[in-house]
Amino acid sequence: MNRILTIAQQPLTRLFLVALIVLSFQTTIFNTMRPFGVCLQVMLLLSTSSGLARGSEIGAIAGFIVGMMYDLVLSTPLGLGAVVFALVGYLAGMTNSFVHQPTWWTKMLLAGAASGLGMLFMPLALTIVGREGVMNRHILVVALVVGVTNAAATVPAERLCGWVLSEPSEVR
Amino acid sequence: MGGLTRRRVIAILALTSILLITMDLRNSSSVSSARRLFGAIFHPIEGVTRVVTTPINNIWHGITDYGDVSQDNKRLKDLIARQEGATIANIAGVREAQELLALNGLPTLAGIDSCTGQVVGQSPSNFSQTVEINRGRRCGIRVGMPVLNAAGLIGKVTESLDDRAVVMLITDPAYSLSVKIVNQPPPKVTVPNKVPESPENQTTTTTSTTTTTTTTIAPKSTIPGFTPGVTIATLPNASPNAPSSESTIAGDIRPGQGNVSQITVPPGANLPLRETGALEGRGLSRAPIVRFIENQPRFGVVYIGSPIVSSGGATSLAPPDIVVGTVSRIISRTGTLGPLLEVKVAANLESLNFVRVLLYQPTTERPSAP
Repeated sequence: MNRILTIAQQPLTRLFLVALIVLSFQTTIFNTMRPFGVCLQVMLLLSTSSGLARGSEIGAIAGFIVGMMYDLVLSTPLGLGAVVFALVGYLAGMTNSFVHQPTWWTKMLLAGAASGLGMLFMPLALTIVGREGVMNRHILVVALVVGVTNAAATVPAERLCGWVLSEPSEVR
Repeated sequence: MGGLTRRRVIAILALTSILLITMDLRNSSSVSSARRLFGAIFHPIEGVTRVVTTPINNIWHGITDYGDVSQDNKRLKDLIARQEGATIANIAGVREAQELLALNGLPTLAGIDSCTGQVVGQSPSNFSQTVEINRGRRCGIRVGMPVLNAAGLIGKVTESLDDRAVVMLITDPAYSLSVKIVNQPPPKVTVPNKVPESPENQTTTTTSTTTTTTTTIAPKSTIPGFTPGVTIATLPNASPNAPSSESTIAGDIRPGQGNVSQITVPPGANLPLRETGALEGRGLSRAPIVRFIENQPRFGVVYIGSPIVSSGGATSLAPPDIVVGTVSRIISRTGTLGPLLEVKVAANLESLNFVRVLLYQPTTERPSAP
């Protein structure tokens, strides 16, 4: 029993469980609510928020796990979303390196920028693996809308990821 | 999660991604298994989330799709208005048909008096489907008279008192009625035309010289220049005394031109085909069936949705052309046995209110003279 509790308290376990719930929202409500015809990317928000909360290394690992879970329900090649989300998490985590004592609005801006970049990296990666017809002008709209909405939701998402990725001793 | 250097993290993640992408692009079975396993874990959670988020989703669509819904509503209202217009035209057509039938001495519903009543009770029995109405002998209702509501036939009177009558529904196993199934004509196959090599036929229109086999569903006259049911007008300059060389050639009729003689092609080819059978009730929970349909090639295949109307006749329980319902299922049978047709009754027998009793007593139900 103690062993199960220990496993459950691990940050990666918590991340998996929280990402599972967020993924269910992504595939249901956010799949149908499409402002300007763009599907909002809360899984990407989870990656950027992980980077913002815990730095670039942990952000990259968290992004990789979240992206991998997203790949498992999408038709994209497994690992493609993982690498893009890992890159986004890494970039978001570099905020702490660039900005001294980042405020809430700088985090919003950086998270929005990282999310927008992620939405540009994704079609690029798809094109590299041979998927055609994904590079078009619409990706700019997608990047803009996803960047703005993810920026707006950064503060609560960062707090959630801060709790999810904290070590067991910190939680207690 | 600590202990990993930045370079190692990036290297491990990049290599893992490349490995996974390669495996997936090569259709690795382990990747498929991983997807299936993850799907088994994820789909129940997704289902719960879908249920929980449905109200929010509805609110969102209510706000964002309101304009589209309004436009759809307007469009559908226009469509209903057009269909109502078509319905009125059809009613006028039915009226004309009834007048024609009456003019030719044929029985029609228009010439039969009726008595409107209200259903006041249902049978407490589990084995018979009857209802009681608040009209009886004083209104002229007699045993055997057919009973309808706005949708169609619902049954027949089995008992008549002064101010009460009992109506047996058409779903009752004891009910039987002669009916007609109105079927669409079967697809028409045009066989290759063998064209005689006479000069007259060489000058015939080019449509008759085709040698390909085609299937045409819309019935159409094979005579060039003629439309079924249309009388071709005589040309002003064509008279029997001065026949022109063109008008004497057989088949030299082109669309838009006439001939010296007036020919009327009967329009029977495009009329729906009818076949009679016997409708039998099978209880309230089961749809009535139609038996004794003959396997006639001309009648063709019975289609689901084909209307069923009463056939009428001297011994029939109801006058002709009362709507009964539509074919809901076809049960094919082997040999010379025709198909059994399940009927979706047009009237909703579970919520009957106002009904109309046609004051038409079939000869089989009339009391014999002492």
